[in-house]
Amino acid sequence: MNMRTLINILLLVVLSFSFESCKREEEKGDPQYLVNPVTSLPPNAGKLKLKTNQQYVAILHANLFQVALSANQIFEISQCIESVGDKEIAREVIISNFMNEPGVIMPSAAEMRADIRTFIIDTYQRFLVRNPTEAEIEYFKNYISANPNVTPELVYFSFSLANEYLYY
Amino acid sequence: MKRRKFLKATGAVAAGSLSLPYILPSGRLFAATGSQMAEYVVYVLFAGGVRQQESVLQRYLDDSQGVPFTGNIMYNMLEGQAPAAKIVYGTGTGGQTPIPMLLNETLQKQGTLFKEVNALSAGHYGGLNNLVQGSRATTQGLKQKPVNPTIFEYARRHGGYKATKVWFLGNGIGNSTPLLNYGIHPDYGANYGANFFAPTVTFNDKLGGKYLSNAKVYHPQDELDPMYQMKFFLDNSFENFGKGLETIGNTDEEKNEIKDFMRQMYQKGNGFVKPPVTDNSDAINIGYTCEILSYFKPNLTVVNLTNVDGCHSNFTGYLRSLHRADHAVGFLWDHIQSIPEMAGKTVLIATPECGRNLLPNAIKDQENEFLAYDHSDQNTSRVFTLMVGPDGVVDKNRVVGSETMPIGMTTDNVITIGEILGFKNDIVSAGYVDSDSRSLFDRM
Repeated sequence: MNMRTLINILLLVVLSFSFESCKREEEKGDPQYLVNPVTSLPPNAGKLKLKTNQQYVAILHANLFQVALSANQIFEISQCIESVGDKEIAREVIISNFMNEPGVIMPSAAEMRADIRTFIIDTYQRFLVRNPTEAEIEYFKNYISANPNVTPELVYFSFSLANEYLYY
Repeated sequence: MKRRKFLKATGAVAAGSLSLPYILPSGRLFAATGSQMAEYVVYVLFAGGVRQQESVLQRYLDDSQGVPFTGNIMYNMLEGQAPAAKIVYGTGTGGQTPIPMLLNETLQKQGTLFKEVNALSAGHYGGLNNLVQGSRATTQGLKQKPVNPTIFEYARRHGGYKATKVWFLGNGIGNSTPLLNYGIHPDYGANYGANFFAPTVTFNDKLGGKYLSNAKVYHPQDELDPMYQMKFFLDNSFENFGKGLETIGNTDEEKNEIKDFMRQMYQKGNGFVKPPVTDNSDAINIGYTCEILSYFKPNLTVVNLTNVDGCHSNFTGYLRSLHRADHAVGFLWDHIQSIPEMAGKTVLIATPECGRNLLPNAIKDQENEFLAYDHSDQNTSRVFTLMVGPDGVVDKNRVVGSETMPIGMTTDNVITIGEILGFKNDIVSAGYVDSDSRSLFDRM
């Protein structure tokens, strides 16, 4: 082995150490900041249990009218839901029946448009029992502002029909 | 372009278009493999537990109460003379007035009767599952959706029918009936399920009439569209975590049609189409089935009847229910012929899900002191299947099998419907139907 080959081999060894030093930090393991690791989840991730038809109807009526249904009414309405194969249609029809009754407690369209942010926060808290994220507030602010046909009734309708509303 | 070149080009395009898959509404790439015998099937789960003795064998009171009165109380469906005396199954005081025959010719004469068919389950839900799954489903539990695919799912997946073309009309919401519109098999399931109504609840004055009939009508574009868009946004942020709900897959247009149908029924009130005698829930269910047929013209409609199950404690009531079930099925067939799209293109199949015992229990009804019957013995496995349809599809005036030579099983009906609608091979090759089951056309 001549001198030149030896130098080349040594150079290779040195270079291989230098590649190691170029590895990304993550590959060496998570950095430690001496705090407990926390998994970040969206605010609706904890809703895992599906409401029964009876729970859905009872909560829906309370959310819309802020008055409880009688046990008999809850039972009868849940039977109606059971009698329709497409449950989304059943729920839609029940909501639109409730909306046709007097006594649904909701702000006027003017009040909604005067302070959309507060309306959205209130609606999320009322129906989905959580605070909206900024992205959700932004979406609804933009959507309501851009669509003059959107009323509080339609917003309430969409929340009552949303999949998240079926879970707790 | 030269003539030869033109012909070559058009030929290539034609060949290409023939070989290209056609995407059906169900998402299926190819149309059903078999040829279709008829466009429509109406399948009556002639249920509740029907004794052969009072139906096909026409022994009336002779084989049940020990009094020598025989006769046919199902004279819309079956050939045979009505009882001459001791009439208790009709209308009016004591049921002394039989309901007049509705059809000019019995369904037996217009079709094929499998006189002695083997029912595979002695219970209602098990029997209904045999009828809609085409399998024995030995692991099928009560209050559990069908473990194997149902005829609805086969029809939608392999026949390519959209949701509103496949309907199940249940007589009430008891006995797990609403669970039958689709099964839990991962290859099929809700997306291929049938639309379902239990008309005695959905359109009942005290239930659906009270809570569903006053629906606010929203403008489809100005109001419903933005509402659905906001719902879509909410669902999107929720579905990201795998919590999507099972849906039958009605399109927005189909949903609007169903809501429109419901509105029409509430507006009609008691004026819906119904058999002349509508004094029990079977007749009401058949009435609304006729309305569904008129509105949606479904390719597959399944309707179940249950009133004869009163036989557990009231034999007189059982006879009346059986007489009315026959009346209702006669009316249903008559109504089908009044729908231009379905007349002459529909096959009707009727089979009880199970029979009833040979020997009575100890309960006597108050009216006539007739002994009642449960369903748990060998006699329970004896039922019939009646099939009627267009010329050239179903043989006329034909009887297959006899008391001494049973032919057919209740599970045969699923494959039979598959053969009629053109997807029999898909059902068989899926491998979930009972291995002994065959199309009734193959048993003739």
